[in-house]
Amino acid sequence: MVKAEVGSTIESLLCQQLGLSPEYVENRIQTIFLDGKPVDNVDSATVKEGSTLALSAALPGLAGATLRRGGYYAPMRSQISHREEAAPEPHHEGMIFLKLFNLLLKELGPSFLKRGIWVKGKDLSDLFKRQPDDFWAGCKGVKLDGEKIDLKRLKEINWADRNVFLQVKPH
Amino acid sequence: MDKILRINMGAEGGPKATEEPLRDYSGLGGRALTSAVISKEVDPLCHPLGENNKLVIAPGLLSGTTGAMSGRISVGCKSPLTGTIKEANAGGQASQVLARLGYAAIVLEGKPKDDTLYKVFINKDGVKITPDNGLKMLGNYDLVDKIKGEYGDKIACICIGPAGEMKMSAASVACTDMELRPTRHAGRGGVGAVMGAKGVKVIVLDDTGMKMRSPKDPEKFKEANKAWVEGLKKHPVSGEGLPAYGTNVLTNVINEAGGYPTKNFKLGRFDTCQKISGETQAETETARGGSATHGCHRGCVIKCSGIYVDKDGNYLTKQPEYETVWAHGGNCGIDDLDSIAMLDRLDDDYGLDTIEMGATIGVAMEAGLAKFGDAEAAINLVKEVGKGTPLGRILGNGAAVTGKVFGVERVPVVKGQALPAYDPRAIHGIGVTYATSTMGADHTAGYAVATNVLNVGGSVDPLKPEGQVELSRNLQIATAAVDATGMCLFVAFPVLDQPDTFQALIDMINAFYGLNLNADDVTELGKSILKNERDFNTRAGFTAQHDRLPEFFKKESLPPHNLTFQVKDEDLDTFFNW
Repeated sequence: MVKAEVGSTIESLLCQQLGLSPEYVENRIQTIFLDGKPVDNVDSATVKEGSTLALSAALPGLAGATLRRGGYYAPMRSQISHREEAAPEPHHEGMIFLKLFNLLLKELGPSFLKRGIWVKGKDLSDLFKRQPDDFWAGCKGVKLDGEKIDLKRLKEINWADRNVFLQVKPH
Repeated sequence: MDKILRINMGAEGGPKATEEPLRDYSGLGGRALTSAVISKEVDPLCHPLGENNKLVIAPGLLSGTTGAMSGRISVGCKSPLTGTIKEANAGGQASQVLARLGYAAIVLEGKPKDDTLYKVFINKDGVKITPDNGLKMLGNYDLVDKIKGEYGDKIACICIGPAGEMKMSAASVACTDMELRPTRHAGRGGVGAVMGAKGVKVIVLDDTGMKMRSPKDPEKFKEANKAWVEGLKKHPVSGEGLPAYGTNVLTNVINEAGGYPTKNFKLGRFDTCQKISGETQAETETARGGSATHGCHRGCVIKCSGIYVDKDGNYLTKQPEYETVWAHGGNCGIDDLDSIAMLDRLDDDYGLDTIEMGATIGVAMEAGLAKFGDAEAAINLVKEVGKGTPLGRILGNGAAVTGKVFGVERVPVVKGQALPAYDPRAIHGIGVTYATSTMGADHTAGYAVATNVLNVGGSVDPLKPEGQVELSRNLQIATAAVDATGMCLFVAFPVLDQPDTFQALIDMINAFYGLNLNADDVTELGKSILKNERDFNTRAGFTAQHDRLPEFFKKESLPPHNLTFQVKDEDLDTFFNW
């Protein structure tokens, strides 16, 4: 999850709030889903409180071509395409779910982690539990609420239902 | 590639091979050639496993050349699964090697007098057909190992596993890859059963002493091929996405779109799909010492495949493709990659179509033979097929037969062939292709997303109801043409986006054959292939009434979008109006 000014268009969210270049959004982010619906126009689709925004690079095959935003084959999935129907939501700070797929995960993931993301406690516990030794060997230090803690404690903490703000900084 | 090898398996005194010039089939390759031969020479009303059916194996027009991505081989016949004409194609080494041996096609005809099993060896000196009952019921992996011991490792094999020998309708024809593993399959429609009915276990190809096929204009061909490769490498799909994650890159995204058929097409999303996604698969393969980037034949520059190893780093199977991961994974509620890889390995070894088998296991789960999500039970069901038990024989004949036997209503097939990994209730346009394809439900029938470049069918108004049909029609025409070239369908995206890459492909064909084709000619080729196939199906008794999705797609809505398939029958009926 990321905090964002909701009520904004996807274009505004990605470029002005999250700092991606318009060229990157135009050329690299070829497939976008807002609440599970393929988006064709990032200038008009608006992100609302609790929205799920999923971003992907171009994909192979007919399905890839069909789901591509504004693509020639977009009519083949017109029944599920995003349509901006509800009245615009006033701009305010809110939380959205952000999913990065395939090449975008590698390209954008590190900068989002550096900036900080919100994670559900259970998801974070599961993430830590399934990491191999290599992962832990790569962690040089941990701070919890500004205080240094032992790395081993991360796996033991019961995060329960809390939303946790996670930042990963390179060393 | 100027001759056809015909092998009459039912000849007096044993199988007899003859060679003949191409005659009427001159200028055809791949699917264009297989469908032309079947349409012209096979009685559409014949029994698919009888002496009057033929199995045609044809490399593409550019196979055996230095042209990149030209290694697809087509296998055609009357299908025992659908009763329609069938073309299934595969990668691997066979297409290149067969083309360099000079054959535009091998046609297996007739039927042996008894149940003797044969192997066929072809090299520069000719053709040798030998009975070898020692090969009976060998899995494809053991078979190829045995053949390697006999002929060395500078060969390519086209072969069947036990499923083909048992003439199961889900049986595939396997082609070996660069490592001489039987991992590339002409999977769909039961082509392996027809090869089994002909009594041929394996065709061994050895092109030692043969040269690359030479173009009419070598300089122009070289130049065009260079531009072709550059175009493929610079495009984000063929140059980055597919090499990094393979086709399984689609799992997360189709799931997000709500079009990922889950638990036998009951749901459009699979909650734990990320465990079997392309991203997870690539990470797993790399971490274990396998590979997430690997070509299936020499001359492949996209390298969408990979090597899947087990937890101890031992080879298990090639990287399972999206369709396989879906069919054995989400469609059966299974989210364990190792189990899916094992199912892929078993399918390859027994010689089975992974889409048909995954869909069949899904139907079997619906029938209560196993619980959704029970990977061990799924593996055991596939093993039943390999053993040929009565239950295995039912399952090995596909989803439609299994659904009938166990009284299941939700059976996802068109013309008897299982639907692939995109739910037509979410993506209606793909549903049109499933319904109207001459092959039964087949996503690759409308895969060549370059119709606007080809200008196939002129402009389309997608807002009109017939727009979906029009788009699907144009896609199927373009795909049929690409299937004739031997080119992998994954070239479609660079061709779509980069006009110079599309031109490079046309230039390659022209330079090789000394032709002057343009986009219109390519379109005409696609149309003629579809006309041949449609004509065969009509004579086999198929009508517009067969161009339909199963009823449940119209009456059961699919979450999360809660849609049914809404394209009207009368619109589907306009598909062949051109």
